[in-house]
Amino acid sequence: MWFKTKAAVLGDFEQLVLLGVLRLELDDAAYGAAIRQEIHARSGRDVSINAVYTTLDRLESKGLLKSWVGDPTPQRGGRRRKFYALRPAGVAALRQAYRAITAMADGLQARLATK
Amino acid sequence: MKVNPPRFAIWLLSMRLGDEWREFVVGDLEEEFATRSGDSRLAARGWFWWQTLRCLLAPPAVQPDTRQLKPTRGDSTMRTLIADVRYALRVLSRTPSFTVAVIGVMALGIGANTAIFGIVNAVLLRPLPFEEPERLMRIFTRTPGGRAFELSPGKFYDWQRDAQSFEGMAMYRFRQFALTGTGTARAIKAGAVGAGFFEVVRARPALGRVFRPEEDSPGGKYAVILSERFWKTELGGAPGVIGRTLKLDDEAYTIVGVMPAHASVASWAVMACDVWVPMALTDEQRSVRGNHNQQGVARLKPNVDLARAQSEMDAVSAQLAREFPKTDGRWGAVVIPMQEQIVGDRRTMLFMLLGAVTLVLLIACANVGNLLFTRALSRRREIAIRSALGAGRGRVIQQLLVEALLLAVAGGAFGLLLAYGTLTSASTLLAGEVPRAEEISIDARVLLFVSGVSILTGMLAGTLPALRAGRSDLGGLSGALKEGGRSDGAIGVGTRRLLIVCEVALSLMLLMGAGVMVQSLLALRHGDAGFDPNNVLTLDVTLVGPRYPMPAQRSSFFDAALQRIRALPGVEAAGTIDDLPMVDGSSQTLHLEGYPPQRDPMAVQVRRINPGYLRAMGIPVLRGRDIVESDAEVLLVSRDAAKLYWGPDDPIGRRAALPYSPTVLRQVVGIVGDVKQRNLTEASTPTVYFYTREASGRATFVIRTSLPPATLVQPAVAAIRAIDPQQPVGDIRTMMQVLDAKLTSQRFSALLLGVFAGVALLLAAVGIYSVLSYIVRGRSREIGIRTALGARTADVLRLVIVEGMSPTLVGIAAGTIAALASARVMETFVFGVSSSDPLTLAAVAATLVLVAVMASLVPAYRAVRLDPVTVLRAD
Repeated sequence: MWFKTKAAVLGDFEQLVLLGVLRLELDDAAYGAAIRQEIHARSGRDVSINAVYTTLDRLESKGLLKSWVGDPTPQRGGRRRKFYALRPAGVAALRQAYRAITAMADGLQARLATK
Repeated sequence: MKVNPPRFAIWLLSMRLGDEWREFVVGDLEEEFATRSGDSRLAARGWFWWQTLRCLLAPPAVQPDTRQLKPTRGDSTMRTLIADVRYALRVLSRTPSFTVAVIGVMALGIGANTAIFGIVNAVLLRPLPFEEPERLMRIFTRTPGGRAFELSPGKFYDWQRDAQSFEGMAMYRFRQFALTGTGTARAIKAGAVGAGFFEVVRARPALGRVFRPEEDSPGGKYAVILSERFWKTELGGAPGVIGRTLKLDDEAYTIVGVMPAHASVASWAVMACDVWVPMALTDEQRSVRGNHNQQGVARLKPNVDLARAQSEMDAVSAQLAREFPKTDGRWGAVVIPMQEQIVGDRRTMLFMLLGAVTLVLLIACANVGNLLFTRALSRRREIAIRSALGAGRGRVIQQLLVEALLLAVAGGAFGLLLAYGTLTSASTLLAGEVPRAEEISIDARVLLFVSGVSILTGMLAGTLPALRAGRSDLGGLSGALKEGGRSDGAIGVGTRRLLIVCEVALSLMLLMGAGVMVQSLLALRHGDAGFDPNNVLTLDVTLVGPRYPMPAQRSSFFDAALQRIRALPGVEAAGTIDDLPMVDGSSQTLHLEGYPPQRDPMAVQVRRINPGYLRAMGIPVLRGRDIVESDAEVLLVSRDAAKLYWGPDDPIGRRAALPYSPTVLRQVVGIVGDVKQRNLTEASTPTVYFYTREASGRATFVIRTSLPPATLVQPAVAAIRAIDPQQPVGDIRTMMQVLDAKLTSQRFSALLLGVFAGVALLLAAVGIYSVLSYIVRGRSREIGIRTALGARTADVLRLVIVEGMSPTLVGIAAGTIAALASARVMETFVFGVSSSDPLTLAAVAATLVLVAVMASLVPAYRAVRLDPVTVLRAD
């Protein structure tokens, strides 16, 4: 329908970050360092923590994420963690991105598969 | 064991990150660091730093929140910066005396640094103005003694034929011509250059052409190339000069080209000549191997490096030594990059001065830091209010740093003006002595340097005070407000004492350097050079060749001129010599009659003199007699030369031959005193003087006067012109001027070090004074109580002076250690005095103690005058 609000369009790093949050949020473990490590481990991109937080903050301000602050922990020098979780809009945006990429890649799997 | 992440990195991060991110980012990094350090601590630290660096460069940005209203996060960086600058300007203009003092101190430090850097830049860093100057080499022979020496044509042409490392090689030498045919005759300097010279240098004419190969021969030699300077001053810059003729020594030379102005490089004598003519050696001259008096220049082929060229030249000269054992045996070849040859040993001197001037800058920084610190503390109230109103620590520090940087930039601007003035006078003062002095100017590199140094100074002087003042442990808002502007307490006294220690130590090093340098200069100037330079006038005369073709004519000219000069009122003695002491001259080996040829003949300085020279120069005859007019072909030997050649035997009455006329045996008639011929800084050189009736066309008149030498310039020139009105007279100098010219670089460094030391002393005094004033103010309550309890004036005085003296004494001790450690560096520059001379050290230390006491007097006086009642009631 013409008035339907579309889900937000995501950049590729935003997709990685959101996927990271999606993977970790069930365990209540979606915070900066964990997301950074998840991205590093799965995609091989060794990104900096500041880039992760910049993106998290941007996604939060777009209304795709929500955040809360945990309790201080000793292995962080008594500092607290900031946790993130997806809002429905974030899930929608991620779903749309996933649909787009799978639709575009349909039939090309053989050529795109890593050797 | 728990491993801690790098604390400095965490500190940097917490400085850089905003409140909203600091905790989470640092926490995350620390957490991951803990995991990683289980594998490898080093890798974990590396990783931590790498993350830190990336965060510092681009900290997490903050998005404006669109969903809900939150407190605004402040202005953009640019807007706060502009606001800070405007605020700083306002604050600074409210305390003009403070501002002027800080800017003055910074201008002094930055200006001195910029001036020295300007000189280093022109002399060492800027490339020569020729194409691919790094490939341009000077070539020399290496004497059996291992010294780089001039070339003989025979060797040169063999090198040119055999060496493959060079694109081209050319010979040159210097000539003096009388420019005749236009008004009064005038002596001009010419470079006589061999074929290919301009191609090797890559100097292209602005007009006309360079010499053709066939012009480098006796038949085709009447061609001349003009320098732009000569073309403009002598010929009015006429465009049609090519093809016209110029009368040099009464002979007509056809002008074939004009070199552009940028080809004239004062630091390379041959390019600084007025004109250039072909060298045009005869075949016989070309084959001379034993007489070394030509210069050589060469250009390396691309991709050939110095080491390869040098090793090839070694091989070539080894081959020649086998071929011509008599003339080439044990001689070698040396290749020296042009830049290095020109700059020579000035490099170390300039770096020494650069080091010294850096110390001045450090002292200036310490002083400014101290002033800023005091000021920041006296503004605690303002800072506390700002913090209470929500200014973060970062904002307060930024504000104070902006102020420091503004001051530094202003200081840099004034410093640049100062440097400009200094450099303008330095280039005139140093012209002719420090190579390339004429190129000293302010260029982009100097501007870059001054901006860099200004910012660095601002950061260096501003960081510590800003960090200290930004700290919240200074009593907090209530404390700061309560104390108000009344009493600072004594905060940061330790830091201030340290500043005094540093200033005093650095000043001591500079004073020590200046002290030994001045002593060394005095020792050189007034030391015994073997002759008496006072009241001696010298004049160069080069006869116009074609007018005096016969040696007898030349002799009679010089004899007649000497006779007329000796008859002038005020002249005590007069003679001639070919090359004065301190001016390069010929160095040769003697062949002794009746002795087996020496296996390793030592070269001695050889000078041609006329009777009267020894008396005019004040050189004593130790044994035998001086030469007289009636002598023919006789020798005088200096004491060292006598020992060197005849050993224990008495040389008087024995005979020897000089290499340029091996068949003429000359009798030794006397032994004379040794003279420093080459340099005041070296030992005296063994010298042989000869007198012959076969006069050459060039001589320097040496005239000892009873009147001030300058008054005899006119009469002496007139006496020479009376014999031949067309005869030009060259350099006219007193012997003292000749010595001073040789000492210019020493005088220059002594002067600069002296100025630096003076500035350092002044700055140290200011530093001690301001720190003591601060401490006295902070302890006024304590002093008041002491006075009230019956402390006498002397006790209070002692209290303050001890407060000032203890860091001074520590500084003197530290400075002494540093000065002794750096004495080795100074050792190269000083003569006749040890660079760790204990007397100088004692004098310098005493000066510093005296200055410290003087600087303590005013604060001490203030302390004594404190009225206990007022002080105590103020609480």
